Amino acid sequence: MPASTDTPSLPRLATREVLLRKRRGWFFGLSGDQFVKYVFQGNAAISIIVLALITLTIFKDAVGFLPQNHQNLRIYRLAGLEYVDLFREQVTAHSTMSRYLASVRAQRLDLLLNKEGLAPAAAMTRLADFDAFANQFADTINEQETLLGTMTDLTTNLKERQKVAEDLVEAKRNYLDAIPGAPPERAAMLQTKADVIHPEVIDFKGEIQPLLAMRPEIAAANARQMAALKALLAQAPKFTDADLNRRMEKLQGFVSDYFQEVEAVVPKMAAWDQTKPVGWLESFNAFAFGREWITASFWQDWYGILPLFAGSLLIAVIALCIAIPLGVASAIYVSQVARPIEQKFIKPYIEFISAIPSVVLGFFGIAMLGETLRRVSQMPSLSWVPGFPMSERLNATTAACLLALLAIPTIFSLAEDALNNVPRSFKEASLALGATRLQTMVRIIVPAALSGIVAAILLGFGRVIGETMVVLLCAGNRIAIPNLGAGLGVIFQPVHTMTGIIAQEMGEVPHYSLHYRALFMVGVVLFLISLLVNWLAQKIVRRYRIVAT
Amino acid sequence: MSAPTTTAAAIFNRSTPAKRVEQGAFWLLRLATYFVLLSAATIFIDIGWKGGRVVFQKQAPFINVPFLTEAPETLSVFEFDGKKMALGDRAFRQFSAAHEEKMKHVAVETYAYSAGGIFPNIVGTVLLVFGSITIALVLGVLSAVYLSEYATDGPFIRFLRLSIVNLAGVPSIVFGLFGAGLFVLTFKFGMSLLSGWLTLAFMVLPIIITASEEALKAVPKGYREGSLALGATKFQAITTNVLPYALPGILTSSVLAIARVAGETAPIMFTAAFVMRDELPWQGLSKWTDFFFQGVMALPYHIYNVASKIPQNEYTRDVQYGTVFVFLFTVAAIAMTAVILRQRLRKKYKW
Repeated sequence: MPASTDTPSLPRLATREVLLRKRRGWFFGLSGDQFVKYVFQGNAAISIIVLALITLTIFKDAVGFLPQNHQNLRIYRLAGLEYVDLFREQVTAHSTMSRYLASVRAQRLDLLLNKEGLAPAAAMTRLADFDAFANQFADTINEQETLLGTMTDLTTNLKERQKVAEDLVEAKRNYLDAIPGAPPERAAMLQTKADVIHPEVIDFKGEIQPLLAMRPEIAAANARQMAALKALLAQAPKFTDADLNRRMEKLQGFVSDYFQEVEAVVPKMAAWDQTKPVGWLESFNAFAFGREWITASFWQDWYGILPLFAGSLLIAVIALCIAIPLGVASAIYVSQVARPIEQKFIKPYIEFISAIPSVVLGFFGIAMLGETLRRVSQMPSLSWVPGFPMSERLNATTAACLLALLAIPTIFSLAEDALNNVPRSFKEASLALGATRLQTMVRIIVPAALSGIVAAILLGFGRVIGETMVVLLCAGNRIAIPNLGAGLGVIFQPVHTMTGIIAQEMGEVPHYSLHYRALFMVGVVLFLISLLVNWLAQKIVRRYRIVAT
Repeated sequence: MSAPTTTAAAIFNRSTPAKRVEQGAFWLLRLATYFVLLSAATIFIDIGWKGGRVVFQKQAPFINVPFLTEAPETLSVFEFDGKKMALGDRAFRQFSAAHEEKMKHVAVETYAYSAGGIFPNIVGTVLLVFGSITIALVLGVLSAVYLSEYATDGPFIRFLRLSIVNLAGVPSIVFGLFGAGLFVLTFKFGMSLLSGWLTLAFMVLPIIITASEEALKAVPKGYREGSLALGATKFQAITTNVLPYALPGILTSSVLAIARVAGETAPIMFTAAFVMRDELPWQGLSKWTDFFFQGVMALPYHIYNVASKIPQNEYTRDVQYGTVFVFLFTVAAIAMTAVILRQRLRKKYKW
């Protein structure tokens, strides 16, 4: 008899269940494998976290720019700096005319010395009556300059007092903030320290009364100046040279423009309203559309991104004009024309170029390229090129040439990939129909890879606009909107860039000051541009991808 | 005279307008390509020639040892007894002590960093590279394992990939701002190795993740399946049958990341690099953690300083070209290793 039939059978689980039963309780109720998976997953999330942290950090430090700049602009108005600047425009316009006269003088002197072959001393005597005229012309502004000086002193003094008062308020707040957590005796000491501080509350309305009271004086001075100028112009010296006479006639036009400006100044000053509130939008616009970036000035700091943005854009455009033809051409060459042995050598070489550190390229620009380009531009046979000879060794083009070399590997690699990914059947079909290799390339392969090539160019643009060391070292670092009046010569002007300004000024700014925050605003702009470029590139690739069926 | 026989070769080789245009176009492309190669070669040759003369010498040790083992000093140039003298800091102090009377009336020009060598800079760069690559490799390889072995398509993965792509496009100066804002100021690490490591590591993270993922994906599916079929857990399969085979690929690609980290200046300008520091990183530490919280001198930042802050003349040229030479050819050697390794690897592993 089989015993087994009597013994009660053990409760048995189904085999399937045993094998698939989860082994619980390793770590926090997770099985080992699951735990490992979460570790990996958490690690992968670091990329997201870093991107989020970058966004958070630079936005956090940048956002404070708006209220701080708002305060900056508010003081600009309250302390009457804006009012004085209305008048300053007039004085600046006058000095522009004086500079124009000086350039006429230089031209005349050049004529006398080189064309008529006079000795310097003789030329000077010939210029004597012109010099007398120019001096009298310059003297007509004296009265205004004195007035402006007085006004400037008044307002800067006011601004200084306001700044001191703000610092005291800050100090007092620091003392008071420290009290809650402090032991009693220290708290008492802090309290007394805070009590001693009495920041001045400035009555701006009262303080600028003397400023407003100067208006009749200004009007009278302007009337006298206009009369003097009219009398002076009536006896302007005449030249024998037609060109110079034309320039002198132009001066008449400038002066009548100036008269209009002068007549408008006093009414503008009268219409100026100290109490007009500064809008928040104004604070933002001063950054986004501001045409000046002036820092650490005794008068008024301006943080306008336009000159930097224009500089970055100018350099990027020039660099791409060089890099696109070269990068795309070499990609086409390597993928379509080159022999295998050439391919084997050129591809790693160009990849290798991308490893050249940008600071080395920048150094090369300073040490060699800038000087070489300038020498070339000074060759007489090239003087027909607009902008030649270059006035500065380091300018937008110097930087752009080197940036092009940085962008070429990016454009090359991506464009070459795109060309290689064109289905083989396209090429074969075209060749079978009797097209030549060139026709196949131009009509079939390049159009098919166009989306990839455009994406490559976009990423090249991203690389160029985000590059720092080359532009910092080679772009000339002059903060000014490139003067398009120079025609094509604009590409030889020194500029400053967004990346360059951060690198140059970040090391010296006081932390969390307005200037510090302005630099972070520039960083935000760069960050957004890079995101936009990336997004566009991906979108283009996805939208126009050709899939072989 | 018989007419030439018409063979296929004769037809094929006949010059037609279309062929001439084609040849012209090909030559244009060829010209553009070789122009790029030539421009890059010019830079290498210029720096190699002028810098090589500073770093190498004709006499016996053949290498300019002081340049590689001393700290930067200020160079003093003056005329003494009708002779032009150029002395480094210490030598100048000894000299003026010895000739105290005569030196009173000698006009001395000084050029910062132009004497001595670049040893602290090399040390600083090596430390920065090692630290940041270690951090980036750990984070990057783990992320890549997740992406290639565990991830299934979904919103999280799509978002993750988007982040990685975008992170790769962020300009290096923005990483610098980020490092300065977060590590230096918010976390109060100060200008330190640690801030620099983290900043640089996050900067190369996308490169390492992308490259490692590619290397992992190249390992054939059969390896994983074989391991799983024998009863290994997924983790065991990864550690024993996937990672070892992907490792050479991962390391090769990370060599490129090393070149990138060593070459970047903008991210360390406000996070780790000092213009001048008298002590080497291991000197004057009161406790071991101080090591991580000290700034260092770095080669790229030194190049920026010698290129922009001191004039260009015969006294400063040596240090400028010498530093650039050492830096460029170190980075180039690293990058070259990566390129060659990658090519050999492609040949070696064909699945």
